[in-house]
Amino acid sequence: MDNQEAKFILKAYRPGGADAGNAVFCGALAQAARDPALHDWFEREQACDKAVAAKLKSVPIPAGLRASILAGGKMSAARRSWWQQPTWLALAASLAILLSTALAWQLRGPRTDWHQLTAQILDDAAHGERHGSHGLAAKNLVALISEPTTKLGSPLPVDLSRLKTDGCRTLSVAGHEVMEVCFERDGGEFHLYVMARPASRDLPSGPRFEAQNGMHSVMWTDAQHLYVMASAKDESALRALL
Amino acid sequence: MSDDTFSQLVDLYYPSLYRFALSLARSEADACDLAQQTFYVWAKKGHALREAAKAKSWLFTTLYREFLRGRRRGERMTALDTVPESELEDVILAPETVASMDGGVVMAALQEVDEIFRAPLTLFYLEDLSYQEIAEALDVPAGTVMSRLSRGKAQLRARLASRSAASPSNVVSFQNSKTKASNG
Repeated sequence: MDNQEAKFILKAYRPGGADAGNAVFCGALAQAARDPALHDWFEREQACDKAVAAKLKSVPIPAGLRASILAGGKMSAARRSWWQQPTWLALAASLAILLSTALAWQLRGPRTDWHQLTAQILDDAAHGERHGSHGLAAKNLVALISEPTTKLGSPLPVDLSRLKTDGCRTLSVAGHEVMEVCFERDGGEFHLYVMARPASRDLPSGPRFEAQNGMHSVMWTDAQHLYVMASAKDESALRALL
Repeated sequence: MSDDTFSQLVDLYYPSLYRFALSLARSEADACDLAQQTFYVWAKKGHALREAAKAKSWLFTTLYREFLRGRRRGERMTALDTVPESELEDVILAPETVASMDGGVVMAALQEVDEIFRAPLTLFYLEDLSYQEIAEALDVPAGTVMSRLSRGKAQLRARLASRSAASPSNVVSFQNSKTKASNG
């Protein structure tokens, strides 16, 4: 770096040393420390800058300017409608966030207590009699799921409205309308409860096993339905049918 | 924004904003208008600024933009290459010479500096802004600010030197005829 370059850089150096820590000036400052001529120039430059700054800062401010600015600011604030005030805007924004959160929550469906639903089904299965399969739709379904090769975990051809029309047993469990058919597999008795898949946010993602008073259940879903299978057989027997 | 907060902001920055405006607009009335307009814009939009620490930079940037917006159509800033090189040479000016001048004279000299150099120069002197801060406020590259500061200082010193030479203290006074006669 020659002195001309150093001068160019040092002209941007603020009087008072505020730029002392700025790496951009380090080389030029070092050059000024080494070169007496540059050092003298830099001292004059800084003194001159300081004098100019002081003079410019002494320029008087017109009387009344402050009052005019404050009055203008108040007018501007007054022109804003009440709903444009920051407080109201903040309140509106908060309300919008709350509403959209609630809406998103609502869109995901109501919360269902799956444990309660299963408990009621297990109670029904334990205390109920073996229910006959009324109607053609129920008979066809029972025939299908009684087949040793049928995997109940695969989508089943269930038509709930047809089942209901044909007189299949219908229950109201935890606010849901549920159809029930009974069948036998591998020497055991099973109860299959079917309902429309609810638009719930907390549907079990996989088979959910529960046990209660010697009865066992498994809950699962497919694209259209929610199933609960209950039996006095244990969990492994239920799992084998899925 | 509450009235108190607005008043505090005005008290903090209106003197330096006015002086910045005066250096740009070259007229007291226009400078007052610019300062008022800047705070008016603040009252309308400034409350949306998330960082209070950026208020100062926001105000100076807004004032500069308002100045550029309000300038008469067709008027152009002096292009760098139209500035005579003779004006860019360093003029040796003693600090004492500047110290002996009136603030208004120094401001008048600054107002004669080409506008393109004047804005960064004013922020440098009046607000002690670093060249990087000036670059941010005026939205120009930092290297350009360095160059404009260098050239602007040269122009300002040339103006100050010529004013100093023309000031009464530097003018040789002549005795009038009556005095001459009485002395003679």
